Amino acid sequence: MRAVWAAAIVVASIFLASAQGVGRRVIDGFVAPSTAAFTRSTMDLAASVEALCDKPGDETLSASRTAFASALDDWGRVSVLRFGPLAADGRFEKLFFWPDARGIGLKQVQGLLAANQPGEISAGMAGKSAALQGFPALEFTLYGAGSEKLAMDEPWRCSVASAIASNIAAIAATVAREWDAGTPFAASFREPGEGKEPYRTEAEVHGEIVKALTTALQFVRSAELVPPLGEAPEKANGKRAPMWRSRLTVPLIAAQLDGVRQLLAAAGYEQSLPEDSRYVASSIRFELDNAIRTLAQVDGPVELTFGTEPDRGRFVFAELALHHASEVVTRDLSAALGLTMGFDALDGD
Amino acid sequence: MEIDRRTFLSLVGAAAVAPAGVLAADEQLYLAARARGGRHEVAVLDARGVDRLVLPIEDRGHSFAIDPVRRTAVAFARAPGRYAVGFDIEGKGLPQPLVAAPGRHFFGHGIFSADGRLMFASENDYEAGRGVTGIYDVDKGFARLGEFDCGGIGPHDVVLMPDGRTACVANGGILTHPDYDKLKLNIDTMSPSLAYLDLASGDIVEQVALPKELHKLSIRHLVVDAHGAVWFGCQHEGEASDRPPLVGRHRRGREAELFAGPPDLLRRMDNYVGSVSVDASGEVVAISSPLGGLVAFWDAATGRYLGEQSMADVCGVAPLKPGHVLGTTGRGAINDMSPWGRAEIVEESVANPAWDNHLRRV
Repeated sequence: MRAVWAAAIVVASIFLASAQGVGRRVIDGFVAPSTAAFTRSTMDLAASVEALCDKPGDETLSASRTAFASALDDWGRVSVLRFGPLAADGRFEKLFFWPDARGIGLKQVQGLLAANQPGEISAGMAGKSAALQGFPALEFTLYGAGSEKLAMDEPWRCSVASAIASNIAAIAATVAREWDAGTPFAASFREPGEGKEPYRTEAEVHGEIVKALTTALQFVRSAELVPPLGEAPEKANGKRAPMWRSRLTVPLIAAQLDGVRQLLAAAGYEQSLPEDSRYVASSIRFELDNAIRTLAQVDGPVELTFGTEPDRGRFVFAELALHHASEVVTRDLSAALGLTMGFDALDGD
Repeated sequence: MEIDRRTFLSLVGAAAVAPAGVLAADEQLYLAARARGGRHEVAVLDARGVDRLVLPIEDRGHSFAIDPVRRTAVAFARAPGRYAVGFDIEGKGLPQPLVAAPGRHFFGHGIFSADGRLMFASENDYEAGRGVTGIYDVDKGFARLGEFDCGGIGPHDVVLMPDGRTACVANGGILTHPDYDKLKLNIDTMSPSLAYLDLASGDIVEQVALPKELHKLSIRHLVVDAHGAVWFGCQHEGEASDRPPLVGRHRRGREAELFAGPPDLLRRMDNYVGSVSVDASGEVVAISSPLGGLVAFWDAATGRYLGEQSMADVCGVAPLKPGHVLGTTGRGAINDMSPWGRAEIVEESVANPAWDNHLRRV
């Protein structure tokens, strides 16, 4: 009996030793590079749109759209960090007001574009409704009905686009700054301890990571894949997918899933979990790989592909893979990390 | 999203009375939803945790509307629930299914009118994005008579006030739509409130909001104390490190008051209250925190903090005796809890049912 206990204690301490510093690994391996890339590409985006307004033309419009796609790609990765700096001050919603079940964003951005009153945006977008502040609003401005006129001379619409792009860049910079080493938040994530806020123990950091993984997977499924799929092919509606106007739906989702994959890899669970639990981390990665690979095969325009084979089947497959990944995270990864997730605590109402 | 009506009815028909003997006249009974071996049930149990009636249900249940006089209850599915089931607490007669009206789903809570003739349920008019209180005629097989606007988004718990004619609705403020699972769609513009509805006219006779900076504090669960004040438990949808007070009291005609409790309590509660109850005297308020694994107690009259008891994954709380509540956990335990102590009635065990969020006394 004593030998069993001793063995159990050894296993536990080996695990704890190698699991120490998960916050540091996540910051160095994922947070720092992804927030830095996001800061850079959103600054480029703001500069591109400004250049478009200065010199409207096909080339500058096309450059702005390219910059948009690139910033959105980085957003996809960063969006997985929906806690701390990105959750503070409603920043996630400001950057990405989605899902927008009632089309509030579209109404507001159309209203703003119709207003044509420079006073409306002279103080920037920061004080405006969240639906006007981020990528969905900018997407409509750059790709929606009437956007082709940006290549000619459409100063009002362009200044709206520019204000939104600058706002996105400002929020991205703030998020990166608040993850910087000096802040109490980052310090406690990197090295949790008594008296620190918000993280006092390694377990709390692990808990935050697990929650971030499940939140991101649930978001992709419930906000981005399931609504456009509908219950049956005839109920499919690709216009309920995010970023269908820019045809960036699939790249966005792939970037988000890549973010999940990178967060998981940075946490190092495939190496640090007790040997008999490592399969948990690898099976999550396996499902993510499958979903990303399958989505890459989607080749039709999103307005249509959710309802027509073979693309519909690809979306369905990806959704199922993510559903499974999500279950493995909630059930098995939590258990492997020794996090107790109660029936009542897990999913409150 | 549509439920399979045939499956539903066959499940309802399978209600089983547990062989627990004759009911003593003054015996206290409790209602709770639970999960057992992957199946979902509604149970009537006594204060010792013994089953008196078990009703299999199709999906995870939540809370109940209870008519203690006619011994009738309605069990609601967890939001976004499409069904509810009316049943006799003593197992007489067949359970009656209620299916949500088109474009509506249940939020999991409801009440009976004082005379037991009407039942009111918190519901989501999800295309319009507004909360309603559905009105049902109990004697006509729970036929839906109509609905009242309850003055907010995401109405959750509802209680009948001591005057017997006013309901207090917790408008949690969180917009959801069944097409989007449980995603919260309006965190930036949330505006939770307590709304007092005149049940005869549907008029909102009083509405109370929290201070503006607390607009992300969703008011969710309610209980009326011995003095007629409404105590509420909240969950915070804003920044995790904000940790605002989660417990409040409202007395008609006044501002709402918030109670933070001792230092560190809010940290352990982690921005979430599971259930709210009073003791049997209505003088002690009990707030459960499944995340913190604790029940915290306040003195209803003075708002003084009385203490806490730990219990892993505790959520259901209901009046037991003066000073005491019965507490249930997701791990199958049932405890007698008071500000001064805790006694195990049923030990936690994986063999026991996992008790869901709410325990309600008949």
